[in-house]
Amino acid sequence: MAKLTIDDLKKIKEKVHKEMALRDGDRRVKVTVHMGTCGIASGAKEVMDSLLEEIESAKVNDVIVTTSGCMGLCSREPLVTVEVVNQEPIKYEYVNPNKMRQIFKRHILAGEVQTPFVLAKGAEIVK
Amino acid sequence: MKAEDRELLQEFTPEQVAKLDSIIEKHKGQAGGLIPVLEEAQVCLEYLPLSVQKRIAAGLNLPLSRIYGVVTFYSFFTMTPRGKYTIRVCLGTACYVRGGKELTDALEKQFGIKDGETTADRLFTLESVRCLGACGLGPVVVVNEDVHGRVKPAKIKDVLSQYN
Amino acid sequence: MKIFRSHLLLCGGTGCHASGSPGVKSALLEEIVKRKLADEVKVVETGCNGFCALGPIMVVYPEGVIYISLKPEDMPELVEEHLVKGRVVEKLLYREPGTDKTIPTMQDIPFFAHQELRALKNRGLIDPEKIEEYIARDGYQGMAKALTEMTPEQVVQEILDSGLRGRGGAGFPTGLKWKFAAQSKGDVKYVLCNADEGDPGAFMDRSILEADPHSVLEGMVIAAKAIGSSHGYIYCRAEYPLAINRLNIAITQAKEAGLLGNDILGTGFNFDLEIYQGAGAFVCGEETALMTSIEGKRGMPRPRPPFPAVAGLWQKPSVLNNVETLANVGQIIQRGAKWHAAVGTEKSKGTKVFALTGDVNNVGLVEVPMGTTLGTIVYDIGGGIPNGKKFKAAQLGGPSGGCIPVQHLNASVDYEKVAELGAIMGSGGLIVMNEDKCAVDMARFFMDFCQDESCGKCTPCREGTKRMLDILTDITKGKGKPGDIELLEEMAEVIKNAALCGLGQTAPNPVLSTIRYFRKEYEDHIFEHRCRATVCSAMFKSPCQHTCPIEMDIPSYIALVREGRFEDAYKILLQTNPFPSVCGRVCDHKCQDKCRRANMDEPLAIKFLKRFITDNAPRPKTEPVPVTRKERIAVVGGGPAGLTAARDLALRGYKVTVFEELNKAGGMLYWGIPSYRLPRNILQGEIDDITSLGVEIRLNTRVGRDITFEQLEKDFDYYYLATGAHKSTKMGVPGEDLGNVFGGVEFLRDFNNNEDKWIKGEKSLGKKVAVIGGGNSAIDAARVALRLGAEVTILYRRLRADMPAAEEEIKAAEDEGIKIEYLVAPLKIEGAKGKVQSITCQRMQLGDFDSSGRRRPVPVDGAEFTLNLDAVIAAIGQVPDMSFIDKKIGVEINKWDCYTVNKGYKSRTTNPRYFAGGDAETGPDTVIAAIAAGHQAADDIDAAIREANGEPAYEKPPIEDIYVPLVIDDETTETPQVAMPELHHDARRANFAEVELGFSREDAIKEACRCLRCDASV
Repeated sequence: MAKLTIDDLKKIKEKVHKEMALRDGDRRVKVTVHMGTCGIASGAKEVMDSLLEEIESAKVNDVIVTTSGCMGLCSREPLVTVEVVNQEPIKYEYVNPNKMRQIFKRHILAGEVQTPFVLAKGAEIVK
Repeated sequence: MKAEDRELLQEFTPEQVAKLDSIIEKHKGQAGGLIPVLEEAQVCLEYLPLSVQKRIAAGLNLPLSRIYGVVTFYSFFTMTPRGKYTIRVCLGTACYVRGGKELTDALEKQFGIKDGETTADRLFTLESVRCLGACGLGPVVVVNEDVHGRVKPAKIKDVLSQYN
Repeated sequence: MKIFRSHLLLCGGTGCHASGSPGVKSALLEEIVKRKLADEVKVVETGCNGFCALGPIMVVYPEGVIYISLKPEDMPELVEEHLVKGRVVEKLLYREPGTDKTIPTMQDIPFFAHQELRALKNRGLIDPEKIEEYIARDGYQGMAKALTEMTPEQVVQEILDSGLRGRGGAGFPTGLKWKFAAQSKGDVKYVLCNADEGDPGAFMDRSILEADPHSVLEGMVIAAKAIGSSHGYIYCRAEYPLAINRLNIAITQAKEAGLLGNDILGTGFNFDLEIYQGAGAFVCGEETALMTSIEGKRGMPRPRPPFPAVAGLWQKPSVLNNVETLANVGQIIQRGAKWHAAVGTEKSKGTKVFALTGDVNNVGLVEVPMGTTLGTIVYDIGGGIPNGKKFKAAQLGGPSGGCIPVQHLNASVDYEKVAELGAIMGSGGLIVMNEDKCAVDMARFFMDFCQDESCGKCTPCREGTKRMLDILTDITKGKGKPGDIELLEEMAEVIKNAALCGLGQTAPNPVLSTIRYFRKEYEDHIFEHRCRATVCSAMFKSPCQHTCPIEMDIPSYIALVREGRFEDAYKILLQTNPFPSVCGRVCDHKCQDKCRRANMDEPLAIKFLKRFITDNAPRPKTEPVPVTRKERIAVVGGGPAGLTAARDLALRGYKVTVFEELNKAGGMLYWGIPSYRLPRNILQGEIDDITSLGVEIRLNTRVGRDITFEQLEKDFDYYYLATGAHKSTKMGVPGEDLGNVFGGVEFLRDFNNNEDKWIKGEKSLGKKVAVIGGGNSAIDAARVALRLGAEVTILYRRLRADMPAAEEEIKAAEDEGIKIEYLVAPLKIEGAKGKVQSITCQRMQLGDFDSSGRRRPVPVDGAEFTLNLDAVIAAIGQVPDMSFIDKKIGVEINKWDCYTVNKGYKSRTTNPRYFAGGDAETGPDTVIAAIAAGHQAADDIDAAIREANGEPAYEKPPIEDIYVPLVIDDETTETPQVAMPELHHDARRANFAEVELGFSREDAIKEACRCLRCDASV
């Protein structure tokens, strides 16, 4: 990355906002696996692996996967956020590889939110 | 070969010794370099016996007492080798009466080591601990972070086979 | 081609494979062959159909039935039922999850709703390994502003104005720290970040570094600008590899982007930083020790002054800030001091991050405005205490802090209030402790930690922590001595004043704080050898026995049940308890609350096993005991306390006479507890045993009326007053004196005295009855009213979980059809012709916490309603009736209308010949507490007599030696408690038959086998 100036900070902000926005087609779904130490200790890595395997074997390319830190609620880890374009984010709790596979097949591909595993929808509000 | 080399080579390979020297070289003359040297040396050598401390003292031009003081001050450093996996057998009352002691005996026999010691291949360190609070699962064995419950002496081999 | 009548599509996808489909498949095939169905049905392995979490899964065609979570052992049943008999196996069937379940939003969840995210604003939202995502959420904007638009003085002023205080624990104003360092002269200055988070139970800093590392880097650059520094260190403990890894990535990215290093953002400002890994020494969290450690030495503190702002790292001016402090800085500069100061209290501004752990439902990271109450953090955000246990205290500040107990749940959590309560804000570890935690053991744990981590440089800390630990360890082992508490307090003061650094100065805090709030627990350990939380196991055999007020030998009688030796088990019961068949029915079984088995599945059904023994073994015969002592003893009150004392004294050879005002002995056992819970013959059997020892019971004799105190004092030498609490507390509402308004105990007494009349309808409550209250008396009154044919509503001012009544009683009342209205309080009772017609109630809502840790009910204005009814039973509490006491006897009554026990005694009153106990001394309590009081009084009276006579102390005769085998299962599998068989609730109306039917022999032995035998010693 080249050295930044103050203007560059603003440009990056706009660019990332554009990039992070999901679009129909090439970036339809964003899946965030929350991987702080707490998440990893309760199995987030295995969840991540199973998700990547499923994506590979389903040969889909409109799902992006990213990681993030602890969401605060360590006792419900592993936590996974699924954001489908034009829909509110859905946060899943106590995810394990099998639940992840089911979420992938039934929610991400088939569009059915897997209610029994859901913690909540939406995002935290920062004032 | 110098005497101090001989002492080092009893416990470490020439490659490890060379690596140690390069670590010392990297931090030589750097203020506050001792602790990074010890940290990197321990990652490379797994433990820091006196022979290693002497080498570092000579390399950094510090008194051995200073090295020894730092090594023994911080809990991260160890002067005796530890295994890759630490097996902790619970000897709380509930586990004890359910066969915790037999389990320790079986492990000591299997590995030929005693409580607190490490196997020759540095794979396992054996420890006994006080109650882990998982009494319903007794006897309990903890390998690093994994808790295994209801471990019979006959079952311990199966449990440990997943660690290598 | 073969035609199959059924196809079994077994999923062989990764998920089902992992959860055991191969085993299911082979079991299935084997079963099909065994049943000779191989030509009729075909098993097909299919790909995944997306029900991975419910696997292994199988679809049976042609019906299309879906079976889930299959196990190999299910196969025989599945083949037999479905394939042979054509019946669907319900228990394995997939059910569509309720689609009407609405998904809450994050703001609907109290854990998130009460938080205010500032330091944690990016949590869970950005990828910490991508600098662009941080920048996209206004990252580095504050730094840009500081570098381009502000002078160092303005930066310092902004931070000063914001009121930001150090989040590492001490709460020193950050702006002031920066100001001092900025004013120090020097060409080289350092900015240091303290990420040596070492408190047990604290993980705020780790989480920030892992989730949002750039926010810390941004804060450090701004600090550098403020003090004029060009180099910094982050001192991070080596135990946080993920945090170090993400910090390294962040630093590399920031350097590449020109946000660290030379000429930052083209402004000409230079600042570089590196990570220094701590090597595992708690003391290095102290600022001077941390600096010594970076210098490559043993991390020992040095005396201040000089302060680090003048001479810090390598004797150069330095500032050291905590991770959370720095994570706040960027936003303060960007959004202004006012924005930061807008939340919080007068002196504590902004938010605080807590690591919420321990006995709380939601464990996690919590950011709340300063001044949020402890109750909100524990109950709303934390979701309360698991398994219905009670909150005891919260430890703030780890080993340097103190605890805040239940009576301060309304306390505002800010620097000032927390300090006033004897804790410290600390770095943010907030450990919730439930009633099963021992205050002394907690103090010992933290002292052990500090002693271990003391660097040894100064004597007060090195030697003092060791000595304090020794004393605490002795106390927890039952070897405490009188004076230990005072010695601990004295040493604590010395160490606080004399230790060199923060570690030593704060090390005594947990001890002082637990002594301040739980002194009684220390005294229990030292003088009674009791650890009521059943933690200090050196003092007892088993938690159940230690919890029982009369220390019944529970493990032994359970072991004997397991062996089928019921008669021996009965002998064990009688060793300590004259009323085992009563207690087997109505004891509040505190023993079960501490049963270790509950950690695995459910506690042992100790009460039911006790009842089983008394129901199924012949009662050991009692023989009269000859009177060998000359002193005559009068017991006033024929309840469990009085009768227990009478029995014990009779066994010691005394002549004892019990005076009972009413026409039946038993006290509350007879007059308060209905016969469907405690059949009369059962109670009478145990009382008969006591009279057969030679105890005389004079019924219908009220002392003070039927026999004067003068006469009593003439006829007897010592007196035990165990007169109970038989008067209902008044509600204090208008109309309470109308006809058909009863007190709870008065109603039950009237019913028991005139059972025939009530049952025949000569006395009647009418059709609709309201019972006020939530205790066992309220439930008893309600269930009796129901049996008399009334429609009953219980009105209670709090919630179900707050009811003092036993859970099983509440449930039984509900089963029987009693309606319970929660959060209502009576306002007035109205009637005509002197008889009640209606009650007007006020709806309540829950407010702040009372001293018992329950939320206080407060009226909802305007929410009143009226119920029409025929009778009201007010069972909100009982008090003793002391009107019979003659002042001349010199027995003092306290303001709660209870007997005063003289200081230093357990049952002796202000007149040395009068002793007292039971409900009349403690206020309403349990049966088992009354029995314990009776034992105590007998010991005390006997001891007083022997002392007066100059005789040696009483020696208990050796108890019969009963061999108790130690048989323990090799393996323990999760099995719930055996349920008590009950009379169906339809069969309970209009009769007073016993509801609980008792264990069968099989039930009892099965239940006894669940005992983990934690009493066993090796």
